[in-house]
Amino acid sequence: MDDDQVFKALADPTRRHLLDRLFERDGRTLTELESELEMTRFGVMKHLRVLEDAGLVVPRREGREKLHFLNPVPIRLIHDRWIDKYTEHRVAALADLKHELEESA
Amino acid sequence: MSTITAQTTQVYQVFIKASPEEIWEAITTPEFTHKYFFGSHVTVTPERFTGLDGEGNDLVLGGVSEYEPPHRLVHEWRSLYDPEAASEAASRVSWEIEDKDGFCLVTVTHDRLEDSPKTAENVAGGWTFVLSGLKTLLETGKPLTG
Repeated sequence: MDDDQVFKALADPTRRHLLDRLFERDGRTLTELESELEMTRFGVMKHLRVLEDAGLVVPRREGREKLHFLNPVPIRLIHDRWIDKYTEHRVAALADLKHELEESA
Repeated sequence: MSTITAQTTQVYQVFIKASPEEIWEAITTPEFTHKYFFGSHVTVTPERFTGLDGEGNDLVLGGVSEYEPPHRLVHEWRSLYDPEAASEAASRVSWEIEDKDGFCLVTVTHDRLEDSPKTAENVAGGWTFVLSGLKTLLETGKPLTG
């Protein structure tokens, strides 16, 4: 579950689509997910595998079925590491600018 | 998330660079939990899971059904922190801590939420925050800010 794998997994529209489907309704089988995509079963399996390797999808066995669950924690970690950091500076810079302009006015 | 019905089984997972014993301690002792678990002081015994706020008011309570330090903990969850969710049926939280070459994979499964829609809705964002905070605390020694 390193950042590279998460970014790579997210850098594909089909995989983002799969995450959105799971966000709407979690714990789905391959067959259910496949029925919503114009793609072969093998293709969907391959994409799910990349999402599982990145930790974004967690498979769980329930009875005879394998269900796929969305795990949002890696996205949160990316957010904490890569987004908070930069947006905070932007906001701080704007606040400083406002302060300076108001001081000189 | 408000337009979507919250899920009745939710699964959260994170890798943490720490030993299973350190992780177990961090999830079962109040000195640690108040730094990442929305300020709650959690105490876990083989019988009960108790989460209190700083003044000793109940936030989360539930019986413990599996207590196997440092790898497995299963307990009930009643959301007493929210007046609307407090009257809902108890749901279930399972913690699994697995060794993986110097890391531990921590999995939280919150299920049996069928009769607890308010709880399902308000824990949906919460667990993500708790697990990322737990990871940050154990790996850097600092609570997650912001």
